[in-house]
Amino acid sequence: MQQNNNLALGFLAALLLPALLAALMSGPVSIDLGAALAQGWHSEAGDAVILWQLRLPRALLAILVGAALGMGGAAMQGMLRNPLAEPALLGVSSGAALAAILLLYYGVSWGLARENGWLLPLLAIGGAFCAVGCVWLLAGRGASASRLVLAGVAINAFLSALMALALNYAPSMFAMQEIVFWLLGSLANRGWDQLLLALPFIAAGALLLFCARNYLRALSLGEASAASLGFRGRRYPLLVLGGIAASVGAAVAVAGTIGFVGLVVPHLVRPLVRQDPGRLLWASALAGALLLLLADILVVNFVGAQELRIGAVTAFIGAPFFFWLIVSGRRGQAL
Amino acid sequence: MPVSCRDLSLERRGRLVLHEVNCAFSPGELTAVVGPNGAGKSSLLETLAGVLAPAAGRVELDGRDAAVIPAAERARLCAYLPQSESPAWSLDVADLVALGLLPWGRPADRAQRVSAALERVDALHLANRAVTRLSGGELRRVQLARLLVGRAPLLIADEPTAALDIRHQLQLMHTFRRQADAGKTVLLALHDLSLAARFCDRILLLHGGRPIARGAPQDVFTPALIGDVYGVSCEFRWRDGVAEFVPLDLL
Repeated sequence: MQQNNNLALGFLAALLLPALLAALMSGPVSIDLGAALAQGWHSEAGDAVILWQLRLPRALLAILVGAALGMGGAAMQGMLRNPLAEPALLGVSSGAALAAILLLYYGVSWGLARENGWLLPLLAIGGAFCAVGCVWLLAGRGASASRLVLAGVAINAFLSALMALALNYAPSMFAMQEIVFWLLGSLANRGWDQLLLALPFIAAGALLLFCARNYLRALSLGEASAASLGFRGRRYPLLVLGGIAASVGAAVAVAGTIGFVGLVVPHLVRPLVRQDPGRLLWASALAGALLLLLADILVVNFVGAQELRIGAVTAFIGAPFFFWLIVSGRRGQAL
Repeated sequence: MPVSCRDLSLERRGRLVLHEVNCAFSPGELTAVVGPNGAGKSSLLETLAGVLAPAAGRVELDGRDAAVIPAAERARLCAYLPQSESPAWSLDVADLVALGLLPWGRPADRAQRVSAALERVDALHLANRAVTRLSGGELRRVQLARLLVGRAPLLIADEPTAALDIRHQLQLMHTFRRQADAGKTVLLALHDLSLAARFCDRILLLHGGRPIARGAPQDVFTPALIGDVYGVSCEFRWRDGVAEFVPLDLL
């Protein structure tokens, strides 16, 4: 049984490479992959530029963002002991989104050049941290999981109201369109800048969550039992919250809000790790990376007047899986 | 490991639930904490286990102030099972039991220890079952295996026999008796006064957050004391060291 599960995880990992190749081959222009690879990074040839400067960073970003979202979802569900939790519940996404909106709005009038690829993501990460900080402060000292959720819902509602207000008073249709597209999430036109900006935050987040893996394991018994197993005090919840804010905040900052990955992916792989909340972190990162990469391949190959937004695609892929989970749950299998 | 509390007070939701409790528990002793609902049994056990921090006074483990012992070390000194513990995920039984070893990292003899602990609570046959597919009593036994799997010299369990059938109640009390005989300090909150009288060396009777009596079962379990604390008339029939507690009526 355990061997089968490890095989399945290995299979997922092995699938990443062909998916990456498929992503590199997908696009409006068909390129000679072999030649482009051979020409190398510095080549000025058209195919090589498309491969090295457009498709490779985009595919890697899909992997990175998907991994962050999957891992963040697993951590969130583990900490709140609730399979319906997702990182957005902590205000990470709306905090980042609000910061981004404010920049998209007033950035131009403040004379901040939006050409600065790193400014928007950096502000969005700041927004994510602020939102999580507010949730933490509102929930208060030694807050239980349910109070944390409540605080998250409250902060989220407030941020949503602010975003609605911002949309309401959008200075121009152009700004409004930009905001809506940002909220739908996209990996289009992202390059090495965004990748290199998100990478350290996501790596730091992963490290924090790695340090908290045994806390998440102990928490499967409940907060009192976790405390008696040595996971006492504010240090551990802070580790998890910091890890989620850093990794998911950075993911949202560079790719916009992409829903459903954080909610669905942990569900899908939980049986593969025998429900262990510690190993679930890595399995979810792996599956999230694969899911988002596949979704982005779909986006790129979708022919239409408008570019399909990846947030819509993940929901389209994710929701049927959820239906299936519920139906199999009805047959008496554990969710 | 000797355990004691000095002038221990605990506040919960602005209400004082333990009032300057002073007591000591010795290694090799099996102590039952008894008292009516709301007497402070669980609060006392949770404070001793380090889950709750006292408002005043202190807990001493092996003569050291427990508040200055790092959480990870304290977890190796004391294993605790709360009154109700519901697993959040559908872990396999063996994996849930292994969580009791978290304070020790990943010991090499993990699998053997888990099997031995499950054996002690008569649940080895459940090892590969998901915890969501256990009955209430089976789950309780598995949780007790989680308590017993480690090497902590202090064992604290809050109403371990609740939800268990009579056979497993007896088996469990024998297990705790053996743990105490092997030199551990064992504290159990119990409602079954017959079991407490039969298996425990010491009884700590709590009422309104204060210890009312402490001593051997014969000394604490008197109709007068029980009448005062529980408000019932009762009889204790002692036969060959086995006590039978018979509640008669409300006072």
